[in-house]
Amino acid sequence: MSEKLTTIIVEDEELARNLLKSFLGEIENVEIIAECENGFEGVKTINELKPDLVFLDIQMPKITGFEMLELLEHKPQIIFATAYDQFALKAFEFNAADYLLKPYSKSRLLEAVEKVAERIKKEGTTSEVIEKISNFPREDFLDRIVVKDRHKIHIVPVDQVKYIESMDDYVMIYDAKGHYLKQKTMKYFEAALNPKNFIRIHRSYIVKVDEINEIQQYEKESYIVILHDKTKLKVSKTGYRNLKSVLNF
Amino acid sequence: MDFKHPFISNPKLAIFYALFWLIAALANVLILTFSNGIDFVIASVEVFSFIIIYAIIGTAIWFVIKFSTLENNSIYRIVLAHVIAATIIVFIWMYSGVVFIKLLHPNAGMWLQKGVINRIFGGYMLYIIYVVFFYAVNYYKGFKEKLQNESQLKALVKEAELHALKSQINPHFLFNSLNSISSLTMTDPKRAQEMVIDLSQLMRYSLKHDQNEKVTFQHELENNKLYLHIEKVRFGRKLNPVFEIDKKCLQAKIPNMILQPLYENAIKYGVYEATDPVEIETRCKCSDEVLEVIITNNYDSNVISKKGEGIGLRNIRERLQIIFGSPHFLKIDDNKKEFKVTLTIPQK
Repeated sequence: MSEKLTTIIVEDEELARNLLKSFLGEIENVEIIAECENGFEGVKTINELKPDLVFLDIQMPKITGFEMLELLEHKPQIIFATAYDQFALKAFEFNAADYLLKPYSKSRLLEAVEKVAERIKKEGTTSEVIEKISNFPREDFLDRIVVKDRHKIHIVPVDQVKYIESMDDYVMIYDAKGHYLKQKTMKYFEAALNPKNFIRIHRSYIVKVDEINEIQQYEKESYIVILHDKTKLKVSKTGYRNLKSVLNF
Repeated sequence: MDFKHPFISNPKLAIFYALFWLIAALANVLILTFSNGIDFVIASVEVFSFIIIYAIIGTAIWFVIKFSTLENNSIYRIVLAHVIAATIIVFIWMYSGVVFIKLLHPNAGMWLQKGVINRIFGGYMLYIIYVVFFYAVNYYKGFKEKLQNESQLKALVKEAELHALKSQINPHFLFNSLNSISSLTMTDPKRAQEMVIDLSQLMRYSLKHDQNEKVTFQHELENNKLYLHIEKVRFGRKLNPVFEIDKKCLQAKIPNMILQPLYENAIKYGVYEATDPVEIETRCKCSDEVLEVIITNNYDSNVISKKGEGIGLRNIRERLQIIFGSPHFLKIDDNKKEFKVTLTIPQK
């Protein structure tokens, strides 16, 4: 291969980074263009440098490797690395992601790199795996949502979310401080949020139960929900049924 | 305590009891009729009145036994209780026996007066036989119960042991440490070797002891220092363990591997999520009665991680419950800047 794969390492532990660097140093077609110690740096650097390949640790401070993926505008090929994470393993195997289990051997690493190089030849640098992995159904409900605006990454705790509104391919997440756009579907959030706390009241709205102040009849057969902050949201027929079953009225 | 009469909880025993007295009564009647030459009807009335009545009243003796158990009462109390109970029972027995006989066969009373002393003596003797019999029944019941409890307890302990073991050798810790070692073999083989030795020693310590065994605080501390030392290799300057240990506490006893999950937690919630150094401070206090270990770590409250009490703390509570019978020896203070765990270990 003539072109070298531009590569970024996102890994919080120095020793793990050293090992990876020294292994990669012996692989001809890989060129390390940056190293990141956490997910925040990772997002910034990947979006900026647009590498072909990223080595990504899953468990990192601040935001996990999976959460970091959701914030990427440039979507490179990913080789995941983890020591022990059963959820991650399931997600990798299900979505045919390339991954390394720590501690790994040089030959195992070489194998993964070769596979990625093949894939880039066929599909280009943009990876579909990212999409699949970040939509992989979780076993537990979300605790926090990671969002990014132009300047900053915000970590929004799920218990501070008031409601979520759909916007075509995006959703708008509202909390007490403001609102954040995120590229995810309503369907994803409907599954990822605890249905005891969040109700889909309309095609366009998921609302937090505790935020509801009032449910008002609007016309003959339609209702609106009024939140504590006076926001009014439409309720569909199915939504009304959902409200009824969760709130028991 | 179970106040159910053994004849009710065990009907088989009641049937044997009834059969025994029927046969005894029948034998008595036959002896009286054939060898003493007493009229069959009179003998029947007499024997059945006395023996069957005793058989019925006698069942009540079990309650006397139950309320004056050999374990919980002084010998004088037991003897006194039995003398009183025996007198009451013999009196009721004699009185109702006479009433019965007079009712059924007025003539039978004629020779009754002759045997009063013998009869009273016999009544007391029977009482003694009953007491021995019921104590035996009781003892057997208690023995069986104890065996059952013991096997239940053993199963519980075993389960707890397995449970605890599971959380102690955290696979995440193990694999990450091995990865660090893998890295160090290339850059710093000497440190790699040290780490392998530390890790082996820690693993051995965690495997060696059973869950109820107590070790000296010193021993426990040394092994937890190994743990922190290994993690320090991984986290570098981010992890900063500080020990302020009063030397006179070092000989206090503590369940083994009980501190490790506390350090693991401090690392998981403090060090892991941090980008700045986190101090994990260990202090202790001790008296003749208790050893108190206080582990404190600062953390970044902006990080939103898993809510609720981790499996580590739950495990410790469970162990404290099993070993000391109370989960309240673990206290947690969280002021959103600092997480403080106070572990109190009774020394008696």
